[in-house]
Amino acid sequence: MKLKNAVALGVTLSAVVTGAAFADTIRVGVIAPFSGPFALYGTQYEQAIAAYQAKHGTSVGEHEIEFIFRDSGGINPDLSRSLAQELLIRDQVDYLAGFTFTPNALAVAPLITQSETPTVIFNAATSSINRDSEFFLRTSFTLWQVSAPIADWAYDQGIRTVITTVADYGPGIDAENGFTAAFEARGGEVIDAVRMPLSTTDFTPFLQSVRAAEPDAVFVFVPGGPTTFAYTRTYNENGLREAGIEFLGTAETEESNLQALGDAAIGLNTAYHYSAAHDSDMNREFLAAIAEMDDPAAVNWASVGAYDGVHLIYEMIEAAGSDGPAAVEHALGLEWESPRGPLVMDPESRTVIQNVYHRVVQRNEETGLLENFETGIIATVGDLGWDQ
Amino acid sequence: MGLFLNIVVDGVAYGMILFMIAVGLSVTMGLMRVVNLAHGGFAMIGGALAHVFGTQMGLGFGLTLLLALAGTIAIALPLERVIYRRVYGFGELQQVLATIGLTFLMIATVNWWLGSTLLAVAMPEILNQSVDLGFRTLPAHRIAVIGLGLSVTLGLWILIDRTRFGVRLRAAVDNRAIASAHGINTDRIYMITFGLGAGLAALGGIMGAELLPIDAYYPLRYMVLFLIVVAVGGMGSILGSFLAAIGLGLLETATRYLVPDLSTITFFALVIALLAMRPQGLLGRE
Amino acid sequence: MRNLIAPLALILLGVALFFLFPYNLAFATRIVIMVILVLSLDLVLGYAGIPTLGQGAMYGAGAYAAGLFAIHIWADPFAGLIAGALAGAILALISGFVLMRASGLTLIMLTIAVASICHEIANRARGVTGGADGLRGIRMDPVFGIFEFDFIGVTGYWYTFGVAALVFAFLVILVRSPFGLGLRGIHESPDRMMAIGAPVYWRRLAAYVVGGAIAGIAGALTAQISQLVSLETFAFALSAEAMIMLILGGMGRLYGAAIGTVVFMWVHHTAAANDPFNWLFVIGAMVLAVVFFLPSGLISLPAAVTRLIKGGRNGGA
Repeated sequence: MKLKNAVALGVTLSAVVTGAAFADTIRVGVIAPFSGPFALYGTQYEQAIAAYQAKHGTSVGEHEIEFIFRDSGGINPDLSRSLAQELLIRDQVDYLAGFTFTPNALAVAPLITQSETPTVIFNAATSSINRDSEFFLRTSFTLWQVSAPIADWAYDQGIRTVITTVADYGPGIDAENGFTAAFEARGGEVIDAVRMPLSTTDFTPFLQSVRAAEPDAVFVFVPGGPTTFAYTRTYNENGLREAGIEFLGTAETEESNLQALGDAAIGLNTAYHYSAAHDSDMNREFLAAIAEMDDPAAVNWASVGAYDGVHLIYEMIEAAGSDGPAAVEHALGLEWESPRGPLVMDPESRTVIQNVYHRVVQRNEETGLLENFETGIIATVGDLGWDQ
Repeated sequence: MGLFLNIVVDGVAYGMILFMIAVGLSVTMGLMRVVNLAHGGFAMIGGALAHVFGTQMGLGFGLTLLLALAGTIAIALPLERVIYRRVYGFGELQQVLATIGLTFLMIATVNWWLGSTLLAVAMPEILNQSVDLGFRTLPAHRIAVIGLGLSVTLGLWILIDRTRFGVRLRAAVDNRAIASAHGINTDRIYMITFGLGAGLAALGGIMGAELLPIDAYYPLRYMVLFLIVVAVGGMGSILGSFLAAIGLGLLETATRYLVPDLSTITFFALVIALLAMRPQGLLGRE
Repeated sequence: MRNLIAPLALILLGVALFFLFPYNLAFATRIVIMVILVLSLDLVLGYAGIPTLGQGAMYGAGAYAAGLFAIHIWADPFAGLIAGALAGAILALISGFVLMRASGLTLIMLTIAVASICHEIANRARGVTGGADGLRGIRMDPVFGIFEFDFIGVTGYWYTFGVAALVFAFLVILVRSPFGLGLRGIHESPDRMMAIGAPVYWRRLAAYVVGGAIAGIAGALTAQISQLVSLETFAFALSAEAMIMLILGGMGRLYGAAIGTVVFMWVHHTAAANDPFNWLFVIGAMVLAVVFFLPSGLISLPAAVTRLIKGGRNGGA
């Protein structure tokens, strides 16, 4: 029996509010930033969900599926938790989804465990989130999952010495560890590990130091938006490229800010699980569906994370309706085809096993726009950070 | 030696960008004594207009810069008449609240108009090159900013210390009632000075966009940075802001070369130490 | 008798919140916690006249202290509050030695710098604090050993509300004490107080420390209710929002702090729910309207309305 239903107050009062709803409507609460500097995520989730529903309908079997959106602003675990409570108690949702930031996901862990609510993470990428509740399922990626493959790729290209430059916060440290472990396992050498304060606006000092040390490549992880913009600009302007120091990154060239980076971005190497330029019919269909929306947002990993997340929720509802534990049971080991390629929900880490591609930024001659061109698959891996 | 030169070159270049962005604030806040938290908003408006004219419409850089500055001032002057004119008379905290409210409206407007992603400002080819200094290279746009910063400092100094307008401005700021009694049109002086501050903000926003890229949340993201420059420099002193910006640029750059891991803590600790020793700032009066 | 109306109204408001938002108790609880933080700011800013945009430093210190205390030492809620209050007070004391020598913009910048340093320390000490992922694993014992923190948040709400009522009562007594009156005097005319021999520096420091302790209590409550502490507790945005709420409600009145917080958070919540993309328009317009038409804050609204209705010649603002 669900705890939330066991509380008399919740049941009596909610009957008044939701009395009109059909018994077979299953609600999914989406907690994501719809306002503030990260509002793009919310738009992307919303449009990916709409695209999925346009193609697959709004019902599965006898269940009508309804999405309820709630704005978490930026990193705000207190708000995230209270929104989850509101969704679970008042709106009687049976599934939760969204979650862009790690603290916001962690804040709901006790709630979803107690109420046995399957919760699909569309983005938050710290491995250990899934350890806090067995009801977490993740359709995005983890930082280890993408930063270890770029190390493999680099070693295969003959790169032997690297300096890592990461933003000095949780995700940056994760990326640094993932890269270093994989690179050193192959026999490469990380000659320096620089951690740059999050508030950095001028990266010149860090990149000048890198240049002076003359490694074969520099690995980077910085948060998206202004920081990435300033970093890539500075990388180019300080002549690291001319000095032959390769750029190794992950999400730095993501699609929502790629055009703003301009020609400076051409030739940058990244390893990632999704590029909007992925060559498949399913991806082209996905892009076309988003393009039909009013005011379509740029499609990037967040869009595809949400799209696959909805697919997973539909699968779970079809198999188990509103029975949380049975739904999670069904999801484990599930395989499906996504716009990014084939996916398997890893039964152990509850993060998808997927292809990680090597990409290089180039200008598409037809559209004149910059894109992440996939040169090939580096590895097909699950969450490499799970056992760390 | 190489390290020392690097710190000096990068520090001065970075400091000059800080100065360019903060100098408008030291005009409105330092000279006119209005706690203008919406300063970053005007910088953002300038940057956003430059994005629209330059990147979206493809106009040349010179024309873009001119239109963006004119556009920002055209927005600032009515705001001065309708809102700021009354804000001058408020207490400090009411000024904080009013200008924060205004900042929110600016952010919401740009967010609604252009979205929340980065708004790239296209630089002319010549500024995108790297210039060889012998021992290393430096991006041309930073050299341009250094030149521009020096000329703005000189220009403001001449304007405020050497012209009739400057005399009147100082009189109006020191004692508005007496200045009015002497037949100085203080309303007009305030309006012109405010427009100057907004124009400088826009210029700084555009020229600094390579380092502090423009987006809808720019005014809040960098608010503290602007305020620190003015506070360290001392209220009412353009030269103080100049020295503070260069000093802070050198300081931040030095900590990033020497103690990259601890640079934020070191930076703020030194700022605290400085302000504790000189609460009025480097060249502040009072 | 008249003195009882306002506190009773406040208690009624608290009870009303419980029944008005039976499904949103978590939200109501967040409001009450924020009221405590804004009250601490009212003491510091409204009474002692110390402008600060760094009250988040003490709030965050209280949150981490209470969280760590619950995880490693004792999970009793009240003991956690004491830990939070102590942490806030100690941080306020240490930083206050330097801060209270400054004033105006310089002081504001110093308070921001202190909060930034705290943020950076908590970020770097990730072995202890969890860094950017947040401090997790906080599980509280029942209140008084009886009332478990429940899923809906009933216990959480009454517990928080009770603490808020105590803090409020304490502040009402404090601001009417000789100490509080002295603060008011310093605020209005520091020179005169100095002239009559009042230890201005030490009184301001004492007010800052008491304010720090209360902010620490607010932080401790947030850690206990959310079971997670994030770096954002130190964020500039939080301190700035607290200040907006205070000025919105009206400074130096205590009730203003409560009203400003409830109105701001309620408008924010409603506007964000209706149009998440553009709610900032609503907040910005509201802030501007208040500052222009009700310069003493929302608490002066009844008086302003009375003036308007009477339409007396002396009514002009």
